[in-house]
Amino acid sequence: MLWTDKYRPQTLDEVVGNKKEKKLIMDWVGNWKNGNPQQPLLLVGPPGIGKTTLALIIAKDFSEYIELNASDKRSQDVIKSTIGESSSSRSLFGDEYKLIIMDEVDGIHGTNDRGGVRAIGEIIKNSKHPMILMANDFYSKRLQSIKPKCTVIKMPKVRSPSIRKALKEIAQKEEVKANPKALELIAKKSNGDMRSAINTLQALADTDKVLEPKDVENLRTKDDRSDIFNAITGVLKSKNPQHVREALRVDEDPTLVMEYIAENIPREYSDKNEIKKAYENIAKADLYFGRARSSRNYGYWKYASDFMGIGVSSSKKETYKKFSKIQTPSIFTLMGRNRGKRNLRDEIAEKMTQKMHISHAVGISMFPYLEIMFKDDELAWEISDFLELDENEIKRFRKKKIPKKVINKMEKQKAQMRVEERDRRFEELQNQMMNAPEEIAIETEESIEEIPLEDNVEKEHTEEEMPIEEEPKEEADNAEDEKPKKKTDKQVSLFSF
Amino acid sequence: MSGPWVEKYRPQKLEDIVGQKQIITRLEKYVGEGSMPNLMFTGPAGVGKTTTALALSKSILGEYWRNNFLELNASDARGIDTVRDRIKNFCRLKPVGAPFRIIFLDEVDNMTKDAQHALRREMEMYTKTASFILSCNYSSKIIDPIQSRCAIFRFAPVKGEDIAERLKFICENEGFDADDKGIETIVYFAEGDMRKAVNVLQAAASEGEAITEESVYEVVSKAKPQEIANMINKALMGDFLGARTLLRETMVLQGTSGEDMVTQIYQEVSKRVVEGKMEPDFYIELIEAIADCDFRIREGANPRIQLEALLTKFI
Repeated sequence: MLWTDKYRPQTLDEVVGNKKEKKLIMDWVGNWKNGNPQQPLLLVGPPGIGKTTLALIIAKDFSEYIELNASDKRSQDVIKSTIGESSSSRSLFGDEYKLIIMDEVDGIHGTNDRGGVRAIGEIIKNSKHPMILMANDFYSKRLQSIKPKCTVIKMPKVRSPSIRKALKEIAQKEEVKANPKALELIAKKSNGDMRSAINTLQALADTDKVLEPKDVENLRTKDDRSDIFNAITGVLKSKNPQHVREALRVDEDPTLVMEYIAENIPREYSDKNEIKKAYENIAKADLYFGRARSSRNYGYWKYASDFMGIGVSSSKKETYKKFSKIQTPSIFTLMGRNRGKRNLRDEIAEKMTQKMHISHAVGISMFPYLEIMFKDDELAWEISDFLELDENEIKRFRKKKIPKKVINKMEKQKAQMRVEERDRRFEELQNQMMNAPEEIAIETEESIEEIPLEDNVEKEHTEEEMPIEEEPKEEADNAEDEKPKKKTDKQVSLFSF
Repeated sequence: MSGPWVEKYRPQKLEDIVGQKQIITRLEKYVGEGSMPNLMFTGPAGVGKTTTALALSKSILGEYWRNNFLELNASDARGIDTVRDRIKNFCRLKPVGAPFRIIFLDEVDNMTKDAQHALRREMEMYTKTASFILSCNYSSKIIDPIQSRCAIFRFAPVKGEDIAERLKFICENEGFDADDKGIETIVYFAEGDMRKAVNVLQAAASEGEAITEESVYEVVSKAKPQEIANMINKALMGDFLGARTLLRETMVLQGTSGEDMVTQIYQEVSKRVVEGKMEPDFYIELIEAIADCDFRIREGANPRIQLEALLTKFI
């Protein structure tokens, strides 16, 4: 039998620590018993600290309980069919409540458990039965919608003296001759996880009933891939290289972890020399991430990881005693909030790329000059016309709209210039292509002109020459009084080569 | 009626290109021969790499140059696959009305090594039908096999006198008055970058009055990201968090590039030391950090992170 089950606390009194939480739970149970429905309880904390134990103790106060495990596939249907009914319909036999226990609510996974979170939300809303939900990660996205509907109880890691004490009791009962040093080591290495500590004890001592420190020494610390918050706390709060290394064993993009560490350096460290040193290490880490990327040699990551981990952690003289909340990098929120602005910027840059043979970056670097030029109404119109900017894009450079009067005037001017330009180009064509083969002939008022075109030219080429063929007719129509339409403007570029 | 002057006054013919005489002479030989090898143009921004590539292509391809010319920007074309697809589709067709086709690939140094190797294969595959003109800021970022397949032309920053001459030509053409001091000031700020010089000139001209030292200064200071001085002050007073927030806002909202930020920071502190507002010893310390930051950004580090680290040196 597993010692973790054998020695599982059976009453609230036996549970180690957590005084305030215990009181809360007792009130919660009491209220249900008095027929006074309560919000579901949400127990949040790392694994192995007694969440399930607590839930099972609470279950004793109810006639029946249903337990759902993390490993179950939790599509909406499964949740609904197993507990959906029992949650919304009360038992026929009097006012007996069924307790619903659901473990690792934050483990509901996006694709496999489509709608799982929503289903839980619905069940919470409709439930007439007491519910206990359990989760590991307080900051998990999946808990966001659930948290406000629950009474949240945050449970900390078990302190290592408490674990040692429990281990000692178990060792005595199991008649294991355990060296206190060994128990202490197990307690420490368990990283606040009571269950893993007891399991370790059982694994090491079950057969020969003796436990010495050397048995424990080569035991690896519990492979606890911590979340990003633990990683950051590890780096900022510790000065022990081994702890830092372990803390950084997270399943996250290392450059994201770097952003988090960088964000929180000035929030945790207050000595300016420490900030300098720590940030220099971040810069070096970043440099090696860059080198890894450009050379495709990801072996460089280990150096980057040490710079941002051990480098940052050893930049402080002492560990700070204060508590500072780990914050999400403000750059992400900044970028999220300004997505619209950035999109607009990129759209304009794209238009500049197409008209001006420059890259996005060069285009954006011209913005400040454009802002100055756009103060002039006529120039603003010219540039907008050249780049084909729409109203919204124009607003990026000037708050006021370009006055109607100016627009009309400029469009007239442009029409006039088009006429002149056309005449000029026409003359050029006449001179240039007199002796070309006759294929397409077009008529104009003044003369009959031959525009030679090779028959195998590509489409783009014909497009290029089209305006010239069409314009003479158009000119006759529009002559002077009509404003040229946007579409025709596009076809004739004064700036083409 | 002009739109941006940088485009209006982009030289259309090789002989009109300013300040790169030796290069132009050699390129004109290719035009005479009617053929050219693969070329690589390297050099800082605004010295005429793109202009030269366009003018050369026009001369060598002749009348139907548009049909036989493909311009791609390696830093904007999303991923190597787009570049390859477009090159492939373009090279599959026979040149029309020209001896061969030209592919102009700008900012090749922004391509990853893998993409460059892929590009090298494309270059080999189409040697018969197409020539490549590659352009980049730093040839050191280009893999050797590509460099060895190209005739390399190094573009130097445009000389002050050449920029001045061009600016005066534009002023004349546009009917603007510009005094020598004004032109000189633009040349000083342009640092050999013709595009920048013309942009400053047009912005100054748009303000309506004659171009003088004062009007140029005004434009240059207006065009600067406004928060740089403010950011530096905050950092100097020890408010690193505040300075960092300003830095992030400038880069995200204005879209100022890392390299521009470094330049601005450099100009700001060097102004302060000259005006006696900063201790030379401290200034030199900062310069080392700024130079490091600059180098790392060009090497491919994340500009924002590097600049944040740079800001800590001010506190």
